[in-house]
Amino acid sequence: MQSISLTITDRDRQIAGLTTLAISLHLLEATFPSLLPGVKPGIANIVVLFVLYRYGFATAASVSLLRVLAGSLLFGQLLTPTFFLSMTGALTSLVALWLASRLPASYFSAVSLSILAAMAHITGQLLMVRLWLIPVPQTFLLLPPLLMASIVFGLANGLIVAYLLNGRDARG
Amino acid sequence: MRTWLSKLRPLLWGDWLVLLLSLGITGWLWSDWGNYAHATKCQIRQGTHIIGTYDLMQDRHITVKGTMGQSVIHIHQGKVRFEHAPCHNQYCVQQGWLRRAGQVVLCLPNQVSIVLLGESGFDSLSY
Amino acid sequence: MYRWLCLLGLISLCGGCQPDSTHSEAYVFGTLVDVQIDDLSEAKAQQASQAVFARYQQLHQQLHAWQAGELQQLNTAITQGNSSIPVSHTLADLLQHAQQLSVQSGGLFNPAIGQLIALWGFHREQFSPVQFAPQQLQRLQAQRPAMTDLTITKDVVASRNRSVKMDLGGYAKGYALDEGMAILKAHGVKNALINIGGNVMALGQHHGRAWRVGIQHPRQPGAMAALDLPSGWAIGTSGDYQRYYMKDGMRYCHIIDPRTGMPVQTTQAVTVLIAPQGHAGVLSDVASKPMFIAPEQASALASTMGVFGWLMVDQTGKISLNPPMQQRLTWLHPETARHAHLVE
Repeated sequence: MQSISLTITDRDRQIAGLTTLAISLHLLEATFPSLLPGVKPGIANIVVLFVLYRYGFATAASVSLLRVLAGSLLFGQLLTPTFFLSMTGALTSLVALWLASRLPASYFSAVSLSILAAMAHITGQLLMVRLWLIPVPQTFLLLPPLLMASIVFGLANGLIVAYLLNGRDARG
Repeated sequence: MRTWLSKLRPLLWGDWLVLLLSLGITGWLWSDWGNYAHATKCQIRQGTHIIGTYDLMQDRHITVKGTMGQSVIHIHQGKVRFEHAPCHNQYCVQQGWLRRAGQVVLCLPNQVSIVLLGESGFDSLSY
Repeated sequence: MYRWLCLLGLISLCGGCQPDSTHSEAYVFGTLVDVQIDDLSEAKAQQASQAVFARYQQLHQQLHAWQAGELQQLNTAITQGNSSIPVSHTLADLLQHAQQLSVQSGGLFNPAIGQLIALWGFHREQFSPVQFAPQQLQRLQAQRPAMTDLTITKDVVASRNRSVKMDLGGYAKGYALDEGMAILKAHGVKNALINIGGNVMALGQHHGRAWRVGIQHPRQPGAMAALDLPSGWAIGTSGDYQRYYMKDGMRYCHIIDPRTGMPVQTTQAVTVLIAPQGHAGVLSDVASKPMFIAPEQASALASTMGVFGWLMVDQTGKISLNPPMQQRLTWLHPETARHAHLVE
């Protein structure tokens, strides 16, 4: 008999803690009243961005995807359209983050990354809605107001991350 | 308060660039899309006769027999065009895809017309 | 998910709204005629529009520029040098009015140049490049056919010039607008819109608001602007994009400059807005032609022709318009509005 032993490192604990934090923020946000349908501040992304700066892209990606998975499990939405919508948003914003993290850090802070990720998030989701959920061309009429909201929230989240990092923002 | 603010560094040069660019793109999309009234249906006529009113959200070819021959109209995912026409000048085919409410393509020689329906903002067109 | 659906629902709600007025269409005068009637039962509205179409069919035959009819008989008689040609009262009235408008426009509106229009290949159902010897054009130009060559009394027409060939293509559609409105009123119609190949005239209102008409963009599919057309007002557009052919990369449109004998190549489109008056329909058809031919005199021509508002697109796509037009219209795309210049 072979036994499998899993070693849980401190880093694993940290990531687990941060993922838990992201999920909590995600759940917290769900209780907020939404001003406009489809518009949410996405405060869980603060954690993802923070992790990107502290632990690198791979860790940030795991936190982000785990957050979507666990969040939809908790809400009982696994494999529902909402789940796929969240997943699409998470994936497109990760792609944007991966690309944006190559920008020189001396010119582009967490604020830039946050805005770009937020815009990619909503654009990806809308594309998903257009292609699969509600395949009518009118869908794209929603893009400008949603992009505007994503810029505002992306800016706010980015400023919070910049504040949390407090200068220690060398990207991992 | 002061310590809180001191932690919040001003935006970097590139951050401003990203912010302005994204606002610019959004504004541009807004001004362009704000007026973009998509048609939902189209009406195809031959002479005085209405061949039919069709939903634009489908993929379908419609062949209409006109005074000169057969015009082939293609409806595809929210847009419509003349694909083939027997007329000499092919103006109708050259118009390409139409998707906005209120647009009209006429094939005068073959007397076939397509009118895109939807809230276009006007009742008739001076052309 | 449901929020998305709600929002989209809101947006697409009005996508399907169609006014419940009665539309009737026909191909007359070589173009599409659309009669929209709002306030009668379907059957009565059909009856009224059928009466309009019947009259149009008559006019179409009577005034056809190159097929058998009264106008063709007149043209043949003029060519033969007949000095006393009997005509119907309708045609006599119409010719007199066209003559008056031609004089008003300084000869720029000239329906006597049918031979030129035929030479350029526009007396056909479909247009394609034509070949002719330059001398043919020179000879026609030397003969200077003009409306002032005609002497028109109540039922007799005489011409001093045998090269006069009447082509009422720039008049008949407008005349038909006025006639059509009179017929609709006689049928008790209070709210209607007639569109004859882009010349539009309004009667009453449309569901409690003014009728709204779009103005076609000369180089893009669809409208560039829209405006309210109150009861009795008429609007007409002359463009180089409906009847034309291309030859050696040049566009040859059906509007011929009587001064040079050449198709106009300086203008893409002219739209005129006409206030209610006796011949508002006729003016909406006629008044755009002189401005199309001589854009440099647009302002002066507009006032002599009795135009309320006008909008012009030149060959480079630059738009000019007068203040009354500016006040009334709404641009549909901010991009187009940027190309627009006010002309006092």
